[in-house]
Amino acid sequence: MQNPSKSNTCDELIFSSFFKNHIKALRNFLYYKFGSKEQSEDLAQEAFIKLWQNCASVPLEKAKSYIYTIANNSSLNEIAHQKVVLQYEKNFSGIDKTNENPEYLLEEKQFQNKLLKAIESLNEKQRIAFLMHRIDGKKYSEIAEILDISVKAVEKRIHLALLCLRKQIDL
Amino acid sequence: MKKNYLLAKWLNDELSDKELADFQASPDFEKYQKIKDYSTHLEVGELDETAMLTDILQHPKTIPKVIPLYKKWMVRVAAILILALGITLAMDHFIPEKQVAENAKTTSFTLPDHSEVVLNSGSEIEFKKWKWKTNRRIELQGEAYFKVAKGRRFEVKTNLGKIAVLGTQFNVRARKNRLDVSCYEGRVKVNYQNKQIILTHGQSVTFENGQQTNSTTNASKPEWIDHQMVFNKENLQNLLDEIQRQYDINIELNSKDTNALFTGKLPTQNLEVALQIISTTYNLKVKKVTTNKIIFEEK
Repeated sequence: MQNPSKSNTCDELIFSSFFKNHIKALRNFLYYKFGSKEQSEDLAQEAFIKLWQNCASVPLEKAKSYIYTIANNSSLNEIAHQKVVLQYEKNFSGIDKTNENPEYLLEEKQFQNKLLKAIESLNEKQRIAFLMHRIDGKKYSEIAEILDISVKAVEKRIHLALLCLRKQIDL
Repeated sequence: MKKNYLLAKWLNDELSDKELADFQASPDFEKYQKIKDYSTHLEVGELDETAMLTDILQHPKTIPKVIPLYKKWMVRVAAILILALGITLAMDHFIPEKQVAENAKTTSFTLPDHSEVVLNSGSEIEFKKWKWKTNRRIELQGEAYFKVAKGRRFEVKTNLGKIAVLGTQFNVRARKNRLDVSCYEGRVKVNYQNKQIILTHGQSVTFENGQQTNSTTNASKPEWIDHQMVFNKENLQNLLDEIQRQYDINIELNSKDTNALFTGKLPTQNLEVALQIISTTYNLKVKKVTTNKIIFEEK
């Protein structure tokens, strides 16, 4: 019989560090799906509350898949999708910071906006895979595990996402 | 771009040098590179992790319900016991109950309505406890004395006929082809073949091979209850059959001239006397082979 107090998920320090490692990615994942920041935060929080409540029966090794499973399930009864609106990091202005040529800066701005628009127009599957890789730095294998698909399928989605983005930007 | 999702491979820095060189030579490369570079600087927005964590940790942990193994066990055992008990009770009610008096024994018992029954030796009775009050029916093989509690129709079925009463005391004997019914109290209705007879207090009737014989009795209960056998115009073979039952012995009759009918009493608890009475009456000689094998011979 498993002793509840021995499940390390119940340890507040361990739980906290696990939370810090995963909360943002989970929230982001939910946001890519739903497009609502409020809802994605609520759902992510709920998933962690459930993990905390049931910490005795969820060992740490299973905790990650536990929270993503809850997140995936909860999405089923949520309301219609909203646009996924992203932003650039606050101190990010452009790749080439030294070039202050106004023409260049304008082009930069234009490209950045085009990219945002293009991402908005991606379909859900491609967007989720692409953004998990770019924003959250997840490996393809991790994405595959979370979405419960093969790595090949993840590659396909990323590939198609890139094709779409390039086309959109060209328009 | 070809299949094999080269774009995805490139984005994940998995291309071989040659593939990378080819791709870098393609006109679209610059744009893809820009997408790659810029997209890393995207973000969803702020998140107050600390506040969220504090909130989460305030929820109480659920203590898992641990049902000890022995409890599950006990529930199962209890369920089985209750089921078994139920079945036993149902069997008790639905399956006919049987009472038997072996040879040389009598059995007395009480029916569910407190009617009393005494079974004479070598007899058996079957009845159903289920709905006994509204369906007082008994099947009898052999002889029995009934003291019936007042109530609905009380029926005794024998292979020779049916006896129905209301509340009374009576004796029924159904042996071989002979049916004797004696009424000691109240009224008894006897059905034999197509005949129907009503007996009242002190009356007896005997049917043997379709022949009806009426008689009266002064006794208040059958003599066998007081360890006596009473015979009324009984032939010797029936007489001996009864003795065999009462004493649980084997009797052989080696005589031809035994047509005389016997009327009288024999004790049920003194074999010597009983045998002596018969031997004198029929002028026979008693020969004891073993303790329970007896031969009557002509003198």
